[in-house]
Amino acid sequence: MSVVPLLWREIQHRKLNFAAALLAVVAAVAVCVAVVTLCDASQRETTRLMRNLGFNVLIVPKNVNMADFWSEDFAREEMPEEYVHRLAQSRDMSVRHLVARLQKKIEWRGRVVLLTGILPEVPMAHGPQKDPMGLDLPRGTAYVGYQLARVLRIKAGDTIEIGGKALRVTRLLDEKGGKDDIRIYAHLHDVQEILGKPGCINEIEALGCLCAGGDGIERIRAELARALPDTQVTEFESIARARSETRFMVERYAAFLIPTVLVACGLWVFLLALSNVRERRVEIGLLRSLGVRSGSIAGLFLGKAALVGLLGALVGYGLGTWVALHFGPRIFPVTAKSFAPLPALLGWALLVAPLLCIVASYLPAMLAVTQDPAEVLREE
Amino acid sequence: MIVLDKVSKVYRKPDGDVRALDDMSLSVAAGEFITVRGPSGSGKSTLLLAVGGMIRPTQGRVVVDGQDLYAVSSAQRARLRAEKIGFVFQMFHLVPYLDTLENVLVPNLAGARVASQDAAELLGHLQLAERLHHRPSELSTGERQRVALARALIKRPEIVLADEPTGNLDPDNARQVMSYLAEFHRGGGTVLVVTHDPLADEYAQRTVLLDRGKLRESPGL
Repeated sequence: MSVVPLLWREIQHRKLNFAAALLAVVAAVAVCVAVVTLCDASQRETTRLMRNLGFNVLIVPKNVNMADFWSEDFAREEMPEEYVHRLAQSRDMSVRHLVARLQKKIEWRGRVVLLTGILPEVPMAHGPQKDPMGLDLPRGTAYVGYQLARVLRIKAGDTIEIGGKALRVTRLLDEKGGKDDIRIYAHLHDVQEILGKPGCINEIEALGCLCAGGDGIERIRAELARALPDTQVTEFESIARARSETRFMVERYAAFLIPTVLVACGLWVFLLALSNVRERRVEIGLLRSLGVRSGSIAGLFLGKAALVGLLGALVGYGLGTWVALHFGPRIFPVTAKSFAPLPALLGWALLVAPLLCIVASYLPAMLAVTQDPAEVLREE
Repeated sequence: MIVLDKVSKVYRKPDGDVRALDDMSLSVAAGEFITVRGPSGSGKSTLLLAVGGMIRPTQGRVVVDGQDLYAVSSAQRARLRAEKIGFVFQMFHLVPYLDTLENVLVPNLAGARVASQDAAELLGHLQLAERLHHRPSELSTGERQRVALARALIKRPEIVLADEPTGNLDPDNARQVMSYLAEFHRGGGTVLVVTHDPLADEYAQRTVLLDRGKLRESPGL
């Protein structure tokens, strides 16, 4: 007879106590695994949806007066198109999705329009590759803003001529309720030709990272100062804040929920272990009278706790992953195909759940070890 | 073998102190069979647990096999219990989820190296050969006490301390249990039985009376 068979026999004898503790751990691990898996999915979904809000960082030449920029809607100063490629080659940048633009307000068909040349997104040379953002206009084509098309009766398929260059209108943009409604988009190199500014751009739009602590823009400024010293950075604060708040809200929710679940589980395991110790007072007294050492007696309780934790982690991980994979795609349809089990969570579960159970059972185990056996044996 | 030297034990209770043992002294020689008799509440169980190293006296010394029990660490006391002392309780205190054989092997948890075969042989000797794989709940009270006795004897202790071993038994089973204790004694073991059952006197070499924590007389039966 050793501790392990005794442990096993006791579990078989008090199935309900064991099942209740196991159930608590399974539920806790399942909730945590499901929440983390769904949070992971939520981040993907949020990132994807937030991208629809557009870019949140604007890079313009250093000598641009931003007061003039906001009043004129474009920068008069220019910088080399090569800057966007240099930025894309830089390491450790916290901006992504670089789109170079050259835009200017011009008179066309008796109206003031914003002519915007766009270079399709330049992929970053380092770091994970992401789906491109922004417009991808082939050369010789144009998109026309809603109000402009309406006033000038431009239809999709029309050919328009700007500065002597013919562009085929391939798309009329939906109403945006802003400057975009009087904009004509074309490929950057077409606009450079129209404006007579080959190799020039006057802004780079980008997506800044969502860094915790709200120091994103300062970090970007520092990075830009190294990579492109004669530029300046402006953040579209409302977009950046919406992105980061949405994303961090999910993280905060998880950060609240997971510890709450773990504490509740720990408390439940603690109460069950306490009840188990009370139920086994005579048995513990007997073992003490036989000369069984405190370590072995504590081992009976802590070993049981570790077993509950290990089994709970395995079953809970399976259950939590199943729940996340079953219900997740309905909750996050945009990124539904990206759902996958997170094997790293199994490792965490196998580490944290037994540890939690041992910690929760520690005090009851110590009570078992320190209880006065004579008290019990005399009572009986 | 066992010496109690001016031992007192006082339990602090909300409604006043209870003096379970009152400046009592007793010597038990190696190989002696002694009965301590007395009414309920006379301090018999306290005396037995003090000798077993499980209740620290308020005053006085308890010496077992030359070792001052309460001058050594609790781990040393546990080792002494594991190696030299076997307990038998009135309520048997069998582990409810272990079968008969496993209950007798429980001392292995304290470091004893008892083989299953030896345990089965002893149980056979105690007329429990047919009950090896029965749970305590499936045994009669007499059988349970014999299992408890086997658990106490299996590690070949030098001393058996028995607390009302016949308290829950009918006369036949009580005689049977006492005869096994006597057999252990004949083999050279020391037996200290605390009981209110006069039957024990028939087997003991010496009987002392305990009343309100004091040894009153030694009839010298």
